Amino acid sequence: MPSRREVLRRAAVGVAVATALGAGALAWSSTLLGEYSVMSMGSGQDGGGQAGDGHSGHAQHSGAVGVAHGASGTFATGGDVSVTSLTADPDRPADVEVELTARQETIDVPGGRAVEGYTVNGSSPGPELRAQQGDLIEVTFRNESVTAGATLHWHGIDVPNAADGVAGITQDAVPAGGHHVYRFVAEDAGTYWYHSHQVSREQVLRGLLGALVIDPVAPADAAADLDITALLHVYGGQHTLNGRVADERIDAPPGSTVRVRVINSDQGTAAVWSDSPFRVIATDGRDINEPTDLRGQRLLIPAGGRADVAVQAPQHGSAALHVGGARRVLIGDPEASVPSIAQPSKSVDLLSYGAPEPLGFDPSSPDRSYDYVIARRFGLIDGRPGNFWTINGRMFPDVPMFHVAEGDVVVMRIVNESGEVHPMHLHGHHIVVLSREGTAASGSPWWVDSLDVRPGESYEIAFIADNPGIWSDHCHTLPHAVDGLVAHLMYDGVTTPFTIHGSAGNQPE
Amino acid sequence: MRKLYTGLAWTVAGAVVVQAAAIAFAFGGMLNLVSEGGVVDKALLESFQAAGVGELGFMIHGLVGAVLIPLIALTLLVVSFFVRVRGAKLWAAIVFGLVALQVTLGFSITDVPYLGLIHGANALAVVAAGSVAALRVRRGRKIDTAERADTTDAADAPPAEGASPDAVAA
Repeated sequence: MPSRREVLRRAAVGVAVATALGAGALAWSSTLLGEYSVMSMGSGQDGGGQAGDGHSGHAQHSGAVGVAHGASGTFATGGDVSVTSLTADPDRPADVEVELTARQETIDVPGGRAVEGYTVNGSSPGPELRAQQGDLIEVTFRNESVTAGATLHWHGIDVPNAADGVAGITQDAVPAGGHHVYRFVAEDAGTYWYHSHQVSREQVLRGLLGALVIDPVAPADAAADLDITALLHVYGGQHTLNGRVADERIDAPPGSTVRVRVINSDQGTAAVWSDSPFRVIATDGRDINEPTDLRGQRLLIPAGGRADVAVQAPQHGSAALHVGGARRVLIGDPEASVPSIAQPSKSVDLLSYGAPEPLGFDPSSPDRSYDYVIARRFGLIDGRPGNFWTINGRMFPDVPMFHVAEGDVVVMRIVNESGEVHPMHLHGHHIVVLSREGTAASGSPWWVDSLDVRPGESYEIAFIADNPGIWSDHCHTLPHAVDGLVAHLMYDGVTTPFTIHGSAGNQPE
Repeated sequence: MRKLYTGLAWTVAGAVVVQAAAIAFAFGGMLNLVSEGGVVDKALLESFQAAGVGELGFMIHGLVGAVLIPLIALTLLVVSFFVRVRGAKLWAAIVFGLVALQVTLGFSITDVPYLGLIHGANALAVVAAGSVAALRVRRGRKIDTAERADTTDAADAPPAEGASPDAVAA
């Protein structure tokens, strides 16, 4: 028979354990997201006034995520403009009409082994779309058999918000058997790509993607003699170049210039190098002003990023352009054998590459200033424990919402306090790098939509808020986005009727 | 409780052995991949394919190291408060501290590779601390029983583990 003291002690322990378990369960369940709208994420920062004011927003976080009622598509529409109304001119006929059909099936990987994944029009990568600057492109996207639903996001093209293809923000995921029409004007010439933005970590990894090239109306003076695309993707551990486990051989006459459009559709930084001199003539669809020849240096392309590289075919043999570590583009005599060369350890610094030219706007007195500080800590997201990414010290979904008004000049300080590189991708806009760690950009304006921010680095970037909507601003190492590295840019007065999770099963990341 | 404590402490030590095996397997797979002409780069790393057959090794190392061992170490620390053996709490705290350090080091290796030197050495410290904790509490049981035998007034004796089935079973 236990003594009274023992009974008391056991009761105390029991109560303590029950309380701890109860509190734990409560804390856990409070992280469950259920159906929600991105509009209710975190709490807004207005970033108003001069640089630094963005900090004051930190204290305003409500931590609450609104619970959506009813089916996706019926959530709060109290605002002025719905994302669905932010479209290209509906009366303008399309210049380019394309049908793309997604299937969940085995991908044939020439030169390697077939893998299970997703195809577009029967292959992966899907067909390369090509249009001329100014064309209105109309893509009818059909999902034939992707069970989780799918969308198409036009990576790097500043499309109208309704065509951005982010499930749960700008549309519902297209269910198997369904279709969706994307319409946008190809305003800027350059190299882009398209990919699904529904369960993207899985669908992009497994091939629901393709290249998209916009040719300029008037070719630049330095127009290349040959223009080729080099889309990098890893299928089941196999490095491919344009879908093949093989090098690309370009039959180019001696002295001719070849423009190689390198698209990094993978989850990590890709290196490009050569023992022949090469020039970086564009990044993320924006030309570099007065690029110079590079020797003994490598170019690093962030995940999701693109770079157009110009290489001259040598008088004899072939020039080898290594793209992404495992593959090469061989330019010149197609019969020549070219030895592999080691990757240089020195990287091109695009902060000082090329010659300066006016930005076209003044970022020195921005209308909004924001911080985007990336770190990492243990916690729960949607009931799932893990070591998650934080933005400005907060964990998803309690991350900042960057509010802007149309016409604002926005400056953002992106700081990486974590131990891994993050390719930060802002939808619908191009950003220009102002400085890195206080060193001002001194080369050609460095315009990007995907920017690698390495551990310990701090970038100051700027852009003009000229494309109303609700836009994701996330890490393109897509598993990182799943683990919380996603925030949004929200234009005043714009709302979305779509929700994440819910009946449409939207899961953009 | 003491049995639980001892079991948890041994599990921490044993899990470190699993960690060493898993990471060696993973790097074996990676070297094998490279020797057969494969190229390991960030793209491969982020698509969880960088170690070929050894990829499972990375997964085990990540799961056991970042989730399992920290949870066990935390449980050990909680359990230690119900174990009346001198040093039980201290050694559970040491194990927990070393594990916390180990996890932090593990996540920082990519950024600062030299930390790998400490990560490897600290792993042995975790094994040692886990073993000491387990041995102390197992031995401590005898000391505790002996102390209790000296107490003449049974009603006022610290009841604690003497009444628990764990101790009875011993």
